[in-house]
Amino acid sequence: MTSNPSTSPSDQPLTPITTTPPPPRNDLRYIRYNAAHEDAYVPAMRQLISKDLSEPYSIYVYRYFLYQWGELCFMAMDDSLPDPMVGVVVSKLEPHRGGPLRGYIAMLAVREEYRGRGIATKLARMAIDAMVERDADEIVLETETTNTAAIKLYERLGFLRSKRLHRYYLNGNSAYRLVLYLKEGVGSMRTNVDPYGPPPMPEGLAAPEPALLHENGREW
Amino acid sequence: MRVVSQSVVPRDITDEFTVAASRLKTGQLVKDEYFTLFEAVGALEIMDSKMDSGYLGPGENRAQALEDDYDLTRELAPDEVLGVMDGLLCYEMAWHMGHPLSQTLFTSLYLDKLLWPVPKTLDEAHFFRGRLATNKEDPAMIHLVLRAYCLALVKCCDFVHARVATEYYFEEEDFVTQLYNRTLLSQFEPEPFYDLLNRAISWIDEQKGKIEENVREAIRTRLLIRREFLLALEQDIEVIETRSREHFLVCLSQFDHLTKSASLGKDVSDSFSLKIQRKLASTVPPRPMVKINFDDALAHLKRLCQDAVDLQEIIDYHGPYNLKVTIWTLLSRKPQPSVYIRSLVQTLIVNNMTILGAVPVKQFLYDELAELVLPSSILLQANIDEIEVPSDPRFQIAKQMDAFVKRFSQPFVDTFRSACLNRCRIRRTVCHTIADWDNLQMEAEDLDEQLRTLSNEPPLMLANGDATYSYPLSSWAYHHKLNQFRLILQLGFELSIYAPEELPGMYWYLSHICSTHLGHIDRVRTFTVATAKRNLTDMAAKKRGALERHAALQKSLRLLERLTTQIVAIDAFAISLHALYVLLARHHVLPTASSAQAYSSDRLRYEIRMKPFLQITLPELVPYDEYHREAMLEGDSDETVLERATKAISEARKAWEATLANGAFMPEFDDEANTAPAIEEDWKRDVKDTMRACIGASIAIETVKKSLKSNANSAQSKDPANASSVNLRVIIPEAGSKARWHDWWIVPQVSQATVGPKT
Repeated sequence: MTSNPSTSPSDQPLTPITTTPPPPRNDLRYIRYNAAHEDAYVPAMRQLISKDLSEPYSIYVYRYFLYQWGELCFMAMDDSLPDPMVGVVVSKLEPHRGGPLRGYIAMLAVREEYRGRGIATKLARMAIDAMVERDADEIVLETETTNTAAIKLYERLGFLRSKRLHRYYLNGNSAYRLVLYLKEGVGSMRTNVDPYGPPPMPEGLAAPEPALLHENGREW
Repeated sequence: MRVVSQSVVPRDITDEFTVAASRLKTGQLVKDEYFTLFEAVGALEIMDSKMDSGYLGPGENRAQALEDDYDLTRELAPDEVLGVMDGLLCYEMAWHMGHPLSQTLFTSLYLDKLLWPVPKTLDEAHFFRGRLATNKEDPAMIHLVLRAYCLALVKCCDFVHARVATEYYFEEEDFVTQLYNRTLLSQFEPEPFYDLLNRAISWIDEQKGKIEENVREAIRTRLLIRREFLLALEQDIEVIETRSREHFLVCLSQFDHLTKSASLGKDVSDSFSLKIQRKLASTVPPRPMVKINFDDALAHLKRLCQDAVDLQEIIDYHGPYNLKVTIWTLLSRKPQPSVYIRSLVQTLIVNNMTILGAVPVKQFLYDELAELVLPSSILLQANIDEIEVPSDPRFQIAKQMDAFVKRFSQPFVDTFRSACLNRCRIRRTVCHTIADWDNLQMEAEDLDEQLRTLSNEPPLMLANGDATYSYPLSSWAYHHKLNQFRLILQLGFELSIYAPEELPGMYWYLSHICSTHLGHIDRVRTFTVATAKRNLTDMAAKKRGALERHAALQKSLRLLERLTTQIVAIDAFAISLHALYVLLARHHVLPTASSAQAYSSDRLRYEIRMKPFLQITLPELVPYDEYHREAMLEGDSDETVLERATKAISEARKAWEATLANGAFMPEFDDEANTAPAIEEDWKRDVKDTMRACIGASIAIETVKKSLKSNANSAQSKDPANASSVNLRVIIPEAGSKARWHDWWIVPQVSQATVGPKT
């Protein structure tokens, strides 16, 4: 799924040369998702994430993540607002094809007027920290190749682009797969199926990508 | 009436379901282990207008939701016909580009009328379907001209669809084959389509003076292009026999007319409607029409025609090496040739176990072995059909070689076919096949050992007195594997996979692979030279076949020399860029993507990078510590590193000059005429772009040198505080930008930072 350009490039310097201080922050509250409040959280989350999608995710996508991995979902709240949710990250964590314990950051969104304050970075860190606590071996995600802000955010956190996915999104845009190893030896862990996807050429079409993102819309 | 199978007894479970569902908490998910993210994403919410294409909004009735008011029988002015034609061409090309028919051509009400319900005869496919015949004469502009154009356009799509669907492509990534239960008129022979087009052209010719001339001319051009395009697509792989470029060339000759008359058409956009999507048999949510502008559509079509013309240059077989050059050069054009062209090339490469419709796969593989590792060897001459005595070693050799062919043909041919994938998939596929080639090499090694005994191969004596053997088949497999290593790295540069801070290491790794490869080619050469020497004795003795053997050996040596020159060129350039990037990194002017607060370390990032190579046995994986030492040139002073960069770039420039002078192809005979001039032009441009990149690198190295020098001076004199930081600005040019001379060579733009007073 795509990730959000919520941090402007100047927010954290790319090179050690420039050091622009971050803009002053409102007092935001960062909280972990709590299923007891799903009635309030899920609609707000959907609205935040669907904002710029031409085609929204069905409720099952949210349920899929939140019911199974609600503890990996974090939200940024501005309590001065009637609808306080201004940022959200949704993830999952499970063994990848019988191999490494793989975290997946599925969605990361920050309300447009709140971007550039490091909220997305903070949310991504909370999700990653939660996965590290749960002994994750690696974390992966996809992002649109044109989404420079999101790519920079994840690369600052240590992710590398492992491959480029041609016309991955419905709008015809391509994606990068971004990968973060958290332990040594992850690359050599055996999986049931070869991670490099396509079967030998004559045997027909490749299986669909393991992740969702064929359903995604434009830049957000 | 409902049809109910005898064995199934329906039972209303609504109440039970409601009771069970009421026990669930909000948000609770009941699923089996097979309900994955993929299923969750595929789910649609019924009654949500964004997801449910059958949803009717409040106050909307079925007729309004499904039917358009547009009158297909209304008369169209000539400029409106032109507008519809050009609108259709845009959607046709959007479909070629990989968008589904439901968002492109199948939004046309005209096409919808022709194609649904599926017509039983071609006569049935007309715009007046379902209407009672009137005495009024049907307007020829629509009934004849537009209908002929539309039907022929659909037939064109039929040929494209058939070709792509036969070959290896990625659904939704390269192309969408979904037809929504309609046909692209595949049930009809092409002849009547030409009749219709010719009648339309004649009618248009008769209208001279009756309708505005430039519009009339524009319509005529479009009908003509449509006819020629259909002829060209119908030819398809028959091109192997016909060798005809005529139809594509006629299309190309009309593009000026097309471009000039682009503005004459009048938009009839209400003849396209998204409502048709609701009637198409499909489970996807409603999706918007894909609009591309006419210029982009023309550019796409023009490239397709040009690529199709030039594609003929691959058909003449001049050995595997030359074939590989033509295919990879043609398919590396930017933008990449369309999926239709790529599918056509795949079929030409291999169809019914025959290469280019002429060379049996076994012969093709033997030619390759003869070119590289086995010139004039008994291994390739032994033929099981001719020797019937099983005790004869030649019988045994032939048997072993047949097993080899069986096992290696497919992966070998795939090294050609993989060029036809989209660029991202090429890299992903090679990351996968490289492990196969590692296994193939080991299997070939076993075969080599058996064959060596059977063929009584004389060993080569090393200086230390040890005997060594040529291992031709596994040597050949290793050569291919090393090519793939290089391709993975170079496509990594092309696809912007590497972060700036990885560039020193990645160029080091490229040079490491190159020097390994050069060593390997040297080994192969040593054995070929030894064979050639032995053959000289045979020649002197005027032994049978010695002269032919000599020619084959010399040819192989020339190819090895050619490969050496190319790899030396790549190696030298990589060494130079490696050294340059080391300096930039050392002095902290190389941009970095990761931050000090990153979760991963260099060591972990190296492991991700090496992932495709982790399971490869040869060449062995470079351990991280060694990699880091080498990649950062630890222990070498700035002067040493600068010297290295300067020397290497000058060697690279010479080697690329030599590569260019060698030309794209291996001549089979001395005075052979070049049969692939257009592709050779592309190849030359590519080498010249590389040479420009070399010059760019020389300049960057000079800039760094100056800066380091003035830095050293100021350090010695008065400004020690400033000594550690060089005053440079470094930009890594993006792939596709002007400053990026070549996709495979990321040359940094280095300039003096404009800080402080300048003299």
